[in-house]
Amino acid sequence: MSNRSAKIYFDPYLFFSLFALSVLGLFFLYSASNADTSIVLKQSVYIFLGFAIMLLVSQADPDVFRRTSLVFIIFSVLLLGVTFLFGPEINGAQRWVRLGPFSFQSSELLKLALPIFLANFLFDKRLPIQPREIIISLVFIFIAFILVARQPDLGTGLIVALSGLFVLFLSGLSWSFIGGAFIALIIFSPLIWNVLLQPFQQQRIATLFNPESDPFGAGWNIIQSKIAIGSGGIFGKGFGEGSQTQLNFLPETKTDFIFSVIGEEFGFFGVVILLSIYFFVLMRCLYLALNARDRFCRLVIGGLTLTFAANLIINLCMVVGLLPVVGMPLPFISKGGSSLISLFFAFGIITSMGTHKKFLPQ
Amino acid sequence: MIFEERQIEKNNFSSRAIFLFVIVGVSFLAVLFQVFALQVSSYSSYELAALNNKNYAIPIQPLRGEIFDRKGHVIVRNEPTFDLITQPDLITQPESFLELIKPVIYLSEIEEAQYLKNFKEKAFVNKELVLKRNLTTEEIARFNVRSFNFKNVFIGKRHRRISDHPKVFAHVLGYTSRSNNQHDLSMDIPRSHWVDAELTYANGLIQGKTGLEETYNHHLSGTHGTRIYEINSRGRLVKTLEYYPPKKGLDLHTHLDIKAQISAANALGDRKGAVVAIDLQSGGINVLYSAPTYSINKLSNGMSVDEFQDLIQDADKPFFNRALQGRYPPASTIKPAIGMFGITNKLINWSEEIDDPGFFTLPENGRIYRGWKKGGHNNVNLQKALMVSSNTYFFKLAYQSDMKDLASYFSSLGFGSSVCRDCYDEDSVFVPSPEWKYKNFNVPWFTGDTVNIGVGQGYLVATPMQLAHYISILANKGNLPKPALVKVENQSLDSNKSQKINLSTSDWAKMHIALTAVIESDFGTARSIRNLKDFQVAGKSGTAELVSLDSKEAYLEVRDTELLRDHSIIIAFGPMPNPQYAVSVVIENGESGGAVAGPVAIEVLKSLLNE
Repeated sequence: MSNRSAKIYFDPYLFFSLFALSVLGLFFLYSASNADTSIVLKQSVYIFLGFAIMLLVSQADPDVFRRTSLVFIIFSVLLLGVTFLFGPEINGAQRWVRLGPFSFQSSELLKLALPIFLANFLFDKRLPIQPREIIISLVFIFIAFILVARQPDLGTGLIVALSGLFVLFLSGLSWSFIGGAFIALIIFSPLIWNVLLQPFQQQRIATLFNPESDPFGAGWNIIQSKIAIGSGGIFGKGFGEGSQTQLNFLPETKTDFIFSVIGEEFGFFGVVILLSIYFFVLMRCLYLALNARDRFCRLVIGGLTLTFAANLIINLCMVVGLLPVVGMPLPFISKGGSSLISLFFAFGIITSMGTHKKFLPQ
Repeated sequence: MIFEERQIEKNNFSSRAIFLFVIVGVSFLAVLFQVFALQVSSYSSYELAALNNKNYAIPIQPLRGEIFDRKGHVIVRNEPTFDLITQPDLITQPESFLELIKPVIYLSEIEEAQYLKNFKEKAFVNKELVLKRNLTTEEIARFNVRSFNFKNVFIGKRHRRISDHPKVFAHVLGYTSRSNNQHDLSMDIPRSHWVDAELTYANGLIQGKTGLEETYNHHLSGTHGTRIYEINSRGRLVKTLEYYPPKKGLDLHTHLDIKAQISAANALGDRKGAVVAIDLQSGGINVLYSAPTYSINKLSNGMSVDEFQDLIQDADKPFFNRALQGRYPPASTIKPAIGMFGITNKLINWSEEIDDPGFFTLPENGRIYRGWKKGGHNNVNLQKALMVSSNTYFFKLAYQSDMKDLASYFSSLGFGSSVCRDCYDEDSVFVPSPEWKYKNFNVPWFTGDTVNIGVGQGYLVATPMQLAHYISILANKGNLPKPALVKVENQSLDSNKSQKINLSTSDWAKMHIALTAVIESDFGTARSIRNLKDFQVAGKSGTAELVSLDSKEAYLEVRDTELLRDHSIIIAFGPMPNPQYAVSVVIENGESGGAVAGPVAIEVLKSLLNE
């Protein structure tokens, strides 16, 4: 206990790989924004802030997060409520909340709060977890999903739901339950398609399978993104030389489609390097999860890491044309303060839970 | 126990975490595989798609070839002209811009409206827009002094298609006009890009519409150049990536003779008619003129709708090319052909005489066919019949002829077919025959029809071009290269000379003597033109009757209406005895062939010989 205050909780593997991602991201953003230095400068301020938050958060003992998990989720839900009541409407959706000079996407917080809350709820339950606990967890997940999805933000809603489901699965959800749920999902999928999905969402899914059916409408983004990536070839067209990016054929280059910029300008070679760094980060997190000091930490690290992975994979699959277009940034690289801050916050929690060790009682 | 339970829980967590991370790993591989498919396997097609996105090729209009006469003088050339061109994307308020520039450059209401109409579209993509065409030197000077006020405006060099003799050569050269169908101009540039073409002509993408400009359009057109722009997703031009200059079209070297063409026009004056002259050695057409005419300069470089309507509705039909499309009865000018037919078919010989009482009576029904001279010409043989233009002689000869044979003889002289190799829209007309008459009028052929054809009246009609071709064959003693306007390089004369008519050398000599006598003897019908020149000319004049009448008194009544007066015709060649040129002249409602059309023919021959 005496040397506790002297120790700095810090994981060099995570820290430096995230640093590499962020710095590379600044270069990509410079090219993607047609050399707009003010955007890059703003982003670097967020990155600096993010690292500070990560370092700060990782110093806290995991028990702090466990004890405050209820407060945290209540605060997150309240923030969603504020967004719903006062948030400005942008492109037909209310996703942002203003705190003084800063705007914050309120659903980002729930992505962290929900897995921590569920981990706290489930970590001391005996295995296998009981139907009562499953149902309570599912109710929480469903409420969180609905809150975000009705903003409307289906993409983030699904990520929030997944963050909860990952924790539920990792804490020992029975396979028969999973199998049953999966069958139910298939049976009810027509119902989901017709009732839950908005027409524009249906359109996006339809477009995925046949983008050429509407090349100047819904298919434009997917077609241009594939052209950008494909025309990059093995070594890319060079930094700032991508015609799809620089001549604005590619949409949303600074946010959702920044991976296409990387593909166009740095080619397959650049893509492999970038994906390797991401994969290394995920492997390191898996290692930390497997070696965490207790069940709560394991569940939180697992849940947050897999949420991060899901976020990443959905973005990649969307950009390369394997999934329909949903609004989802590329973590650590896409422009956007809220997303960056919440990512660094999450990795701060992961570092905290992965580095704090406890004497195990025999 | 607690420790064991922990261990079970930990193992359970580990296997589940690893299970999910395997899914993550597989997803990574799927993404990597897809990226590989895009960037490596399908690279070339995506590379092409990216190029098609950003590259915008526009054509650059080439200069048309110029047209020269037989001596190398230019007839149609490309004259530089200057247009005022603006860059709408640099102009914020088109209305106030126009107010600013109007004191410097005069703008019509139409020009203003046209400019404002196209402004927005051109401003959105940064393309040029012409404000005013054909600036005067005064306007250029006024603008240059004030150009510092107009950073977004410049003077661009364009061209006009100009002839120094725009009216004289109108029908033969034809005019150019903006092309409606650009598709045939290019295969390598998408059709939609042609609206952005870089223009070389002030009148836009021009194309030959009539005359030589049309016939040789392909030859004159040249090959367009290409400029490949880089464009962004909005279609704005970013920069030039590649430039391929246009290739100017090939020049056209014609057989036309500027001096002779002008002399034909001057000699014809404001009378309606046509003149065609042919070089007997090459078959080249030296003169092809039709009156009244119009200015090709105006038509080729933008004529107002009103002016164009006036031309179209003009009762004198200036667009009508009388030389190639006018159908005239050849009248007495057909008599040499009838005579040759008689000699060839041994119906007559040169010495055989008949009595000409001034009329011919058709034996079948006693119908009278009158000659032009009361009392007739007494005893006439073929030579005298041609010289004095005895109708009776040729009525009788035609009466003896089989119409089918006569029709095929006409065909071998070029009647009923297009005789010019490269004339625009030449009328081939027809040769009348019993089949032709039955098909068109559902009436059988009468002997009287053949008798009328003996003096070039009735159903027989021909164009001035066909008449010139026919007299050229006579002048050349039976053979002639196919008449053409444009010189063909290395064309051997013999290969193109085809024997059209077979007559013995002495027969040809006698024919030439007879036709020379028409003009040069004291008794020739065209002797009035004998003294207009200092070389001998052979020929045959004719007066084509538009109304069939029995007496001179009746004609005097008819001639009060100008449009019913007889056409005046002459076909001639010279200098004799070794002719070089043949000419045909038709003057509508000119009456008396030799005296009216004759001087025109002489002027043209003089001009052609005096080189």
